[in-house]
Amino acid sequence: MKKIEAIIQPFKMEPVKEALKNIGIDGMTITEVRGHGRQKGHKEVYRGQEYNVDLLPKIKVELVVADARLNEILTALTTAARTGKIGDGKVFVYDVAEAIRIRNDDRGEAAL
Amino acid sequence: MMTGEKLRFDPIGALDERTSAVDAQVLHAWQRHLGLSVPTGAAILAVGGYGRRQLFPYSDIDLLLLFASDKAAAAHKEEISSFLQQLWDAGLRVSQSVRTPAECCELHEGNIELSVSLLDQRYLAGDAAVYGTMLAKLPRFVHGQRDALVRHLSRMTRERHARFNGTFHHLEPNIKEAPGGLRDLQLVSWLAQIAGTTPQAFSGLVHLPELDEARRTLFALRGYLHHQAKRDSNILTFDAQEWIAELMGVEETAIMRGYFRSARAVHRSALGALESEEARASSLFAQFRDRRSRVSNADFTVARERIYLRAPQQLAAEPELALRLLQFVGRHGMRLSLEAEQKMAPQLAAVRQYFAAPRPVWPALLEALSLPHAPLALRVAYETGVLTALFPELERIDCLVIRDFFHRYTVDEHTLVAIQTLVELRGAQAPPASSFAGLISEIEQPSLLVFALLFHDVGKGSPREGHIDASLRLAERAMERIQMPAAERDSVRFLIRHHLDMSVTMNGRDPFDPSTARDFAHAVGTVENLKRLTLVTYADISAVNPAVMTAWRAEQLWQLYLLTYNELTRELETERIEEADSPEQTAFLEGFPKRYLRTHSEADVTRHMQLELEGRPRGVAVALEKSGSIYRLTLVTGDRPFLFATVAGTLSSFGMNILKAEAFANRRGTVLDTFSFADPLRTLELNPTEMDRLKATVERAVLGRADVKQLLRSRPRSTPPSRKARIEPTVHFDDQASQSSTLIQVVAEDRPGLLYDIASTISSRGTSIDVVLIDTEAHKAIDVFYVTAEGRKLTSEKQGELQKALLAVLRG
Repeated sequence: MKKIEAIIQPFKMEPVKEALKNIGIDGMTITEVRGHGRQKGHKEVYRGQEYNVDLLPKIKVELVVADARLNEILTALTTAARTGKIGDGKVFVYDVAEAIRIRNDDRGEAAL
Repeated sequence: MMTGEKLRFDPIGALDERTSAVDAQVLHAWQRHLGLSVPTGAAILAVGGYGRRQLFPYSDIDLLLLFASDKAAAAHKEEISSFLQQLWDAGLRVSQSVRTPAECCELHEGNIELSVSLLDQRYLAGDAAVYGTMLAKLPRFVHGQRDALVRHLSRMTRERHARFNGTFHHLEPNIKEAPGGLRDLQLVSWLAQIAGTTPQAFSGLVHLPELDEARRTLFALRGYLHHQAKRDSNILTFDAQEWIAELMGVEETAIMRGYFRSARAVHRSALGALESEEARASSLFAQFRDRRSRVSNADFTVARERIYLRAPQQLAAEPELALRLLQFVGRHGMRLSLEAEQKMAPQLAAVRQYFAAPRPVWPALLEALSLPHAPLALRVAYETGVLTALFPELERIDCLVIRDFFHRYTVDEHTLVAIQTLVELRGAQAPPASSFAGLISEIEQPSLLVFALLFHDVGKGSPREGHIDASLRLAERAMERIQMPAAERDSVRFLIRHHLDMSVTMNGRDPFDPSTARDFAHAVGTVENLKRLTLVTYADISAVNPAVMTAWRAEQLWQLYLLTYNELTRELETERIEEADSPEQTAFLEGFPKRYLRTHSEADVTRHMQLELEGRPRGVAVALEKSGSIYRLTLVTGDRPFLFATVAGTLSSFGMNILKAEAFANRRGTVLDTFSFADPLRTLELNPTEMDRLKATVERAVLGRADVKQLLRSRPRSTPPSRKARIEPTVHFDDQASQSSTLIQVVAEDRPGLLYDIASTISSRGTSIDVVLIDTEAHKAIDVFYVTAEGRKLTSEKQGELQKALLAVLRG
């Protein structure tokens, strides 16, 4: 099993959810986060005063998937989240040691 | 899955059926174990829900075993035990207490629940004499302990309500314990009994037809829930809503709408009954004092923070009283007494009929909506039916449920919460709300936003039409009826039509793609529209549920506002009108910024052209009009040095407070300046002739026949606020924002004559002012000037020089 953690642009949340739903993935955790990578924030001037926008609003999508489906899911996710510009975000993939469905104690991929 | 058994189930009939069946079982057990061995000195009573003959499937059986003495009870311990065991074995969940008549009629902390449960006692079997002893003492006991019982019930109720955040708006409500649930219904009846009257007569305050209906609805729901779960389960879960709807052959939303209507009626009656009993407990003197409360007027009196109508029958004869009621609540922030509500209820039909005809209602409504407690006024008016009598359109969203994961409220409640959010934003100190709070003080007529919010979702009650189209249609009808002026209608239409646009843009577009801000800027057209729409969006999103407006989301909204604001102010200078509809129009408009057309209607343009024509012989024309509490001065003349400063100074010399000003110039050197200002000393209102003198003085000053410095000298200077509150002036130059001008942004403490000082300082250095945007935020003035020197941007030496001069003037 793998855990996918993707930091994406807020306006890409719906397309990503839709793309995952199209390949049968419904379950995910979504968090409102702030951050910047190479995009580095930027400066806005509002009525003569400079506003530093260091940390930009982003969305974090987390999901745990079966090994066999990993590549297919990554492709769907990154395709949907891409604009081709700086700030599109990043995806991290981790190994998952165990998954347990608390309700009935299902283990491993059966718990996903 | 629907079974035949479910279909036959009748939840109301089941209560009585079960009560009778349990009565038979209890009587049988009593006869067998106690009736023969204890022929005298003992009786069995049903209490609680069982006592009321309201025994829901699978709910507990509350019994009271009454013994003449403790000794008698102790002597029959064995029989009591076998009696109870038989009931348990029959599958009944019994909860019993054993008491003597004396114990029943004494009060201490430990047994107050028992005293309350006795209010619902019902004799089942046993020695009628021992029951009679208790019954004889009970009324005097209840009467004597009235205050203690009320205090107890009041505390229990408020604690229970607090567990549910004091609201009945829950998507999966507990229909017994939550506010507006069965416990509240019971409370009304208990309080009435304690007061020694019936619920009907209970200070005449309980709305009975509503309550009867509510009781039937809540009973049916609880009956279904217990029947289905086969236990005492009172949570109306999504699943339960689904299968109850299926069972009853209606939509799920209809189930919830019925529930919310019932809960609202019960909640109000419970609070009303509680308040009236709590109030009674206090001294007569206090009531007398309150009746004479200072805020009372010819229409209303106030007692214990509640509003009473002096002549309740007056409403039908004079329906305009409804508007004065809105204003009274809006001004003083108090609710209506239930007595007033009830006396008004039968007259609402007359009010509705009166306001169904077109009438000039807008000025009075505008005043009400501008008052500090406007959200409460609307809520009170809505809950009492006054608001729907004024605007029957709102009935479509009454208790309307949105089945959606995020929505916590019914549509009507969402609407009222949105309005409350908007108005409360004014006082917000902490970010992110404080950024938006600033916008409220910058817009004209925030009350228009309140009106737009009131109607923004009414279309949700018309499922066959798009919700925005339906809302627009219904708002149009209402605005027509109340004779709202055309300009205000335009604003309301704009806000309703676009109320989802910012959310959609935020969620669907890349904020850093330049086309996002550009497209959105085109859609909103003006900075004023942008500010209004941002506020409406903030309120609308916040009212979806209490957790949805996170700092994160507020930041996204602010970012979109900011990018669009900059887009709108940047294009100010670059986009100029090249051609208009007719040659005359082109001649007048050519060279004005495009913004001019967006901020002015066709009628405005015609008026301005007319004004220019009138002014030709004299070289100047001035128009002055009043709109709400704001005056607007429009001036057309040929461009000349110090023009803007001259007008600003003249207005200040009359004691006027300039709120907004704009200056436009066309290719032929004709200048059109508009000034919006307030008249804080009401000079123009109290002395109508001053209007003409003001216009004449402006004309003379523009033509150089009056000396502005001289005029200003006669004005007293206001005392500056304390040092702490003072605003350090800043002057900021921006060469990037516009293609051909330098922007000067001045932020300073507002004071009379400030604009004159700034404008004349700028003009005195050979600089010409092309466009001006003035804003005032409380004591803070934020002025932006687009300036050029000899047709170009200012050099850096010139900027340095001007900065020094401006700061010197600003620091006084």
